[in-house]
Amino acid sequence: MVTKSEEEQLNRLEAQVDNAGGGAWEYLCLVRKLKVRRPDKVLKHGLAILNDSKKRSALGTEEWTLCEQVAVAAMDCQSLDVAKDCIKVLRKRFPDSKRVGRLEGMLLEAKGLWAEAEKAYSSFLEDNPFDQVIHKRRVALAKAQGNITTAIECLNKYLDTFMADHDAWRELAEIYVSLQMYKQAAFCYEELILSQPTNPLHHLAYADVLYTIGGLENLQAAKKYYASTINLTGGKNRRALFGVCLCTSAIGQLSKGRNKEDKDSPELQSLAVAALEKDYKQRAPGKLPLLTSALKSLRVSS
Amino acid sequence: MAEDLVLDTAIRDWVLIPLSVVMVLIGVLRYFVSKLMRSAQIPDAKLVKEGQVIVRARNLRAAANFIPPKSFRARRLYYSNEENGLLYVPKGQAPNAQAQMFSDPNMAMDMMKKNLSMIIPQTLTFAWVNFFFSGFVAAKIPFPLTQRFRAMLQNGIDLSTVDVSYVSSRSWYFLNLFGLRGLFSIILGEENATDDTQRMMQMTGFGFDPTKSLGAEKDGLDIVQHDWTMPKFERRAEAVLRKLVR
Repeated sequence: MVTKSEEEQLNRLEAQVDNAGGGAWEYLCLVRKLKVRRPDKVLKHGLAILNDSKKRSALGTEEWTLCEQVAVAAMDCQSLDVAKDCIKVLRKRFPDSKRVGRLEGMLLEAKGLWAEAEKAYSSFLEDNPFDQVIHKRRVALAKAQGNITTAIECLNKYLDTFMADHDAWRELAEIYVSLQMYKQAAFCYEELILSQPTNPLHHLAYADVLYTIGGLENLQAAKKYYASTINLTGGKNRRALFGVCLCTSAIGQLSKGRNKEDKDSPELQSLAVAALEKDYKQRAPGKLPLLTSALKSLRVSS
Repeated sequence: MAEDLVLDTAIRDWVLIPLSVVMVLIGVLRYFVSKLMRSAQIPDAKLVKEGQVIVRARNLRAAANFIPPKSFRARRLYYSNEENGLLYVPKGQAPNAQAQMFSDPNMAMDMMKKNLSMIIPQTLTFAWVNFFFSGFVAAKIPFPLTQRFRAMLQNGIDLSTVDVSYVSSRSWYFLNLFGLRGLFSIILGEENATDDTQRMMQMTGFGFDPTKSLGAEKDGLDIVQHDWTMPKFERRAEAVLRKLVR
């Protein structure tokens, strides 16, 4: 996760570099450290450094790190020639490095030579079955080919060993959601909430999945998780506010005619409506009628 | 008490400086030798998995109250049931670290390599220092010290009358042995420093048994009282929104 101050720093540096104010290397280092994806900028400024022999030699051994970074960025931008050149330079410097081999596999992937990339990755995994990056590349490869079931298989195999890797759990959850396998997705989101209990995005996604599954019990749970998202974001998350409204109306419909014994938070939805109206009034007054009509159709606008 | 021992400049030129230089050179040499002998280690599949299981179970224990009771119960069963739970270690199957070490020749080999690259040069240099430079007063530190430092600074000189601020050659050897770490990290790069003290720590910590922590984690999980916090969050969310709307 990139914190707000880090993002500000990154954007400031980026503006400075874009206006030829120097600090390109610092910018690239920061991009690498935060693991953000800005391939166009990295390619432009990284290549400028690599082509300048004086700046390049001033980097010392960091030169190779930059080469790798630029190669990956170039693949992202489909400038395969640049990537190829970078990888060639690296291969010459490190003749039997696995890290360079990984880059070569990625280049094959970028070219769309799936079978060859797959072969390269499998041979790496034979050498070292615990290379997490290669495992993830294989999942990406399957996904790129549209082989969702293979991707799920690979991810499950990976998670069987590396079960504390929450990024992999999130990927799996998103794949399951895309396939409408909500029960499985819910399990993944539970796992994510366990590993990062204070991340509101996981609570929100879990609530979405529970709401989609439906049923009284799930709807009530979904409402609770929307509430916890509101709690964790300080009420700034609109999706969670809408979610509370939707859940309340759905619960109301389902439990119509029954005794209403569990009214633990009767005010929550009216408060959510009020918060939404206030927010829309402030930011998008033109859309306020839309909001009121939408909420009225839910019959929650009390 | 001899107030001012005058140290011959030849001692500086032929004892103090050569000793330091040799120590640095040996350190660098040892680094390269151990780099040559180091075999690429592939971690044991079971160990990797057990480590991850422990992390995941710990997460479950810490954040149990954030997931619905049903999900929690399912997970607890998955971890700690007596048939094939992830945390369950059958009795008598817990491998003895000692036995494991002897049954796996690779492991013993690695240990030996590590030890050889550490012990052999150390004994050799120590013998060399002892033979050629025993009994020298090699240096004087510019501030006075208490008697307690005598054992550290005047190893090899059994005179109680010499001021403690004088350093004997053998002590100079020891100071170099343990004090050159910073210099190595500059010469050989940050993480490559040959760090004897740390290695010794590793040696003593050897024999860590992951199955024990698996059992401990299982016990911890078994006594967790699940109390879903979400209903509380609803009320708290109300308070948040009320503040926001106002």
